[in-house]
Amino acid sequence: MSFLLDVQRIGISFGGLKAVQDFTLQIAHGALHGLIGPNGAGKTTVFNLLTGVYLPQTGSIHLGGVSLMGRKPFQIAAAGLSRTFQNIRLFGELSVLDNVRIACHLRGRHSLTATVLRTSFYRRQEAAIEERAMTLLSIFDLGDLAHEQARNLSYGDQRRLEIVRALATVPKLILLDEPAAGMNPAEKIELAKSIEQIRKQFNLTVLLIEHDMSLVMDICERITVLDYGQIIAEGTPGEIQSNPKVIEAYLGEVVTES
Amino acid sequence: MQTLDYAIPGTRPTQPGWVTFVPPLAVLMLALLMHYCVPFLGAYAERIMTDMAIAMIAAMSLTIVNGFTGQFSIGHAAFMALGGYTAAWCSYYFCLRYWGQTAVVPGTLFGTHQLILLCCALIGGAVAAGAGWVVGLPSLRLRGDYLAIVTLGFGEILRVLFQQTNSQALSKPELANRPLFGSDPTNPGWVFPPGVGGSLGFTDIPKSTNLFLCYLLVGLTFLFAYRLKFSSLGRALLSIREDEIAAEAMGVNVTRLKVRAFMFAAFFAGIAGTLYAHQSGTTLRPIDSGFIRSFDIVIMVVLGGLGSISGALLAAVIITGVTAALLGLTDYGLLPYRMPVFALVLILMMIFRPKGLFGVHEIWDYLPQFGRKGAK
Amino acid sequence: MADFLQTLIIAITLGSLYALIALGYTMVYGVLKLINFAHSDVVVLGAWLSMTVAVFLLPRIGVTGATWWAGGLVLILAMLLCGAIGFAIERLAYKPIRGAPRLNALITAIGVSLFLQNFGQLQFTLIPNERVVASGALQERGQDPRTIRLAETVSIESEQKYAVRLFKNSAPEGATPQTRNIVAAAGTYEAGRDIAIDGGVGRADTRDARYEIVRIAAGAPLKLPFGAMPAGMPVLFNDRPVWEHVFVSETEHGRLEKPVRITLLDLTIVGTAVALLVGLQILVFNTRVGTAMRAVSYNMETAALMGIPVDRIVSMTFVLGAALAAAAGFLFAVKYTQIQQPAHATWVLLGLKAFVAAVVGGIGNIRGATLGGFLIAFIEQFGAYAGLQVGWANASAYTDVFVFVLLIVVLLVKPTGIFGTTVREKV
Repeated sequence: MSFLLDVQRIGISFGGLKAVQDFTLQIAHGALHGLIGPNGAGKTTVFNLLTGVYLPQTGSIHLGGVSLMGRKPFQIAAAGLSRTFQNIRLFGELSVLDNVRIACHLRGRHSLTATVLRTSFYRRQEAAIEERAMTLLSIFDLGDLAHEQARNLSYGDQRRLEIVRALATVPKLILLDEPAAGMNPAEKIELAKSIEQIRKQFNLTVLLIEHDMSLVMDICERITVLDYGQIIAEGTPGEIQSNPKVIEAYLGEVVTES
Repeated sequence: MQTLDYAIPGTRPTQPGWVTFVPPLAVLMLALLMHYCVPFLGAYAERIMTDMAIAMIAAMSLTIVNGFTGQFSIGHAAFMALGGYTAAWCSYYFCLRYWGQTAVVPGTLFGTHQLILLCCALIGGAVAAGAGWVVGLPSLRLRGDYLAIVTLGFGEILRVLFQQTNSQALSKPELANRPLFGSDPTNPGWVFPPGVGGSLGFTDIPKSTNLFLCYLLVGLTFLFAYRLKFSSLGRALLSIREDEIAAEAMGVNVTRLKVRAFMFAAFFAGIAGTLYAHQSGTTLRPIDSGFIRSFDIVIMVVLGGLGSISGALLAAVIITGVTAALLGLTDYGLLPYRMPVFALVLILMMIFRPKGLFGVHEIWDYLPQFGRKGAK
Repeated sequence: MADFLQTLIIAITLGSLYALIALGYTMVYGVLKLINFAHSDVVVLGAWLSMTVAVFLLPRIGVTGATWWAGGLVLILAMLLCGAIGFAIERLAYKPIRGAPRLNALITAIGVSLFLQNFGQLQFTLIPNERVVASGALQERGQDPRTIRLAETVSIESEQKYAVRLFKNSAPEGATPQTRNIVAAAGTYEAGRDIAIDGGVGRADTRDARYEIVRIAAGAPLKLPFGAMPAGMPVLFNDRPVWEHVFVSETEHGRLEKPVRITLLDLTIVGTAVALLVGLQILVFNTRVGTAMRAVSYNMETAALMGIPVDRIVSMTFVLGAALAAAAGFLFAVKYTQIQQPAHATWVLLGLKAFVAAVVGGIGNIRGATLGGFLIAFIEQFGAYAGLQVGWANASAYTDVFVFVLLIVVLLVKPTGIFGTTVREKV
């Protein structure tokens, strides 16, 4: 079986601190994989390594058989790997629509001449981009807010906009970094549905970091658990829930009464 | 890389076809209007309108890099001076070689000299853009403040280099006797080091700048900047300014676009410099590339609003106007207070209205009937 | 050998000045992550304030000529004044925008720099009293731009201040022609002969058509010795060589004697600079205040949570940086008494080079700034020296170019500088 994402033993250390080591992960086409772990376990660092924000010092990363090692973030995005950010990084001054249109930019052809001369090709492409952006926004019920400034959105809407923006780059694999953080239970259910919908509609593979265990256990097919930069467990939600190492990492060492 | 064909033949463009052709025609009309109407207001008005045009081009060009892309260049006058010197060198020696003199008939709409000027402007702009590439490539890989300091340094280096150029050949026979290269003071070369007057300044440049060319170029620069801003490319530039890391994660080639934006800015600065060099009464001096002039342009861009093209235009008009008023009305007595006051305005602006007058928006976003949603 | 030694001495003197200025940049950057563009202007201000103190205060408290403590007094007063100005700059301009985007901080810094620079160049004449003593049409300019040729013979008495004003002919009709103030030395100026004009903002050129010679003030004008025409520094030291060696070489033109000198002034400059550098080093690494400073520099929020008075520490950093800048400005003005140009010509460039020193050494790092300062001085002095050795006669005109080329090379190879550490942005 060939995997969409094949990560072999990547690692990075900052100064003396080994932030992530020997991280290995294989995700099949169309899967929804969860990445969990206590705070500071190195989950976001893994995302940063996968998306090229940090350069892995060891190991290898392949997406659909193509090596991503040493590529710049924008090349990785072009290769079909997109992400959201834990500490929301929207283009705050710009409108919601523009945020999505910027991500659409990647899959278009843009020459300066066409832009400055406003050629027929350019105008058709802009129209198509806008249409596509609006379609994506309406999936997450953001269509009405298209002309708002992104920073004026509510927290939950900003998180959703991050997902829409990532989707607009037409990824094969999308990395969601705590998409449900700060959402209320109703919104979380809504989010879970939307994730399911986009997976089907866009034939997406998803890697998800999340702290809300019920959400993770609910929607993920497989889960990897990280602690102190190392994988401590990998398996189906059922296996993870009963894994003593995972319980220990989350609850502390079980003190047996003497 | 997988590309989606966004330009599906069936898609109807949201913008109608006339947006392609009508604005350039409007620009041409404006330029003609300025050329035929302003002279009625007198020579002084004509001169100030020319100054304003040059300031507007410079301010708009700086807006592309400082405003759209958020990379702070504060050595813009250096690119103006480089473009100006290059273009002036070309036109001066061309005229000297073929006509033995550089006099220009004033009042012509578009004669041979204006054609030469236009060609030289392209050369000047291209050389400035090339310099922009050389300066931008190392510093734009890094965080914003380094660009500021490198551009500042670039202006100072250029000033030193201009001071070390050869004296200019003043007549056709003198030019014929001069070697191409060499820096022997008794018989200096005119090609390299270029004979552009050294520290004495470059004089007698053909006075071919006229209102028609000025406002034609103002219009074209505006069209370029406007169409860039409201396009996919422009939005990519704005995304760099908003959040570099997110922009890169969304597939924007940040470094390449930054360098490109910087080169566009340098190109138009070179054109503004060309117009300045060929304006009547100009002696190009090495100091023109120093930071005193650069700061003038920075103030215009910051006051107008970082990223607002119309804001930059308005600020350019205001600042040039205020300067002219101080020169003309107050017997030069208040002129020294210009810069301290502007500097104070800059500081207060950052405290009370940090995004400048119009922020990233355009003036018409604030008019109720045209208001885009999102402009607050 | 003589040239080499002399270059070495100049490089060390200049290097200690650069290091002093670079420290101010690096301290503020360390604490606020802000490139304090105004720092170079504080250096200029330091120099001008020390000139003011030396010109006005010293004679009024009965100090004339060189006394051993006069220099020290001027230095301390200039440092105090500049420290106060540094405090005011931080409180009024930088504090309100703390936490704003970096670009805003950068623009504010540029604004402060522009303000100091241009405010400092205003004429602060307290008793304006002008009288035109001669005027006429200006003949063509001489070969040197700093000369003009008068139409009539003019005699200027020695003890009074005069200005030559030049009127442009290219000013459009209806506009008042621009006046340029240029200090003319006393003497008799004959018609038709080139006369030199020194200092001043402008110079004669083909566009200047008319001149006026104006007596600025009767008696002693109470004019601050800076502005558009800063005065030179009065003599504060009995400068004398403390070490001298004459190198003798036989050439085809005969015996050539080249003396190499280390003067008392050189020693004073290096000594003062080193004392201040060491003092700062001790302050930052061995005192409570220094520990607080380093804590704020490491993480401002955490430092505040730990009970460190962040505002006070930041102000303190500015005051220290400004005081060091004043010291550098004072020492520079003492060393190069003939420097009279307005801010933008020499002074700001001095500050800029010091900034390059801070970046080269690793901005935010105190030892880096010191090392960078000396490195820059050595590159520019020995660059010119090496150029001369290989027959590049004009090499000394390019010293600024060497420095900025070094900056670009460092940015390409190791953007964080020699001692700098990479700061990762949290993603």
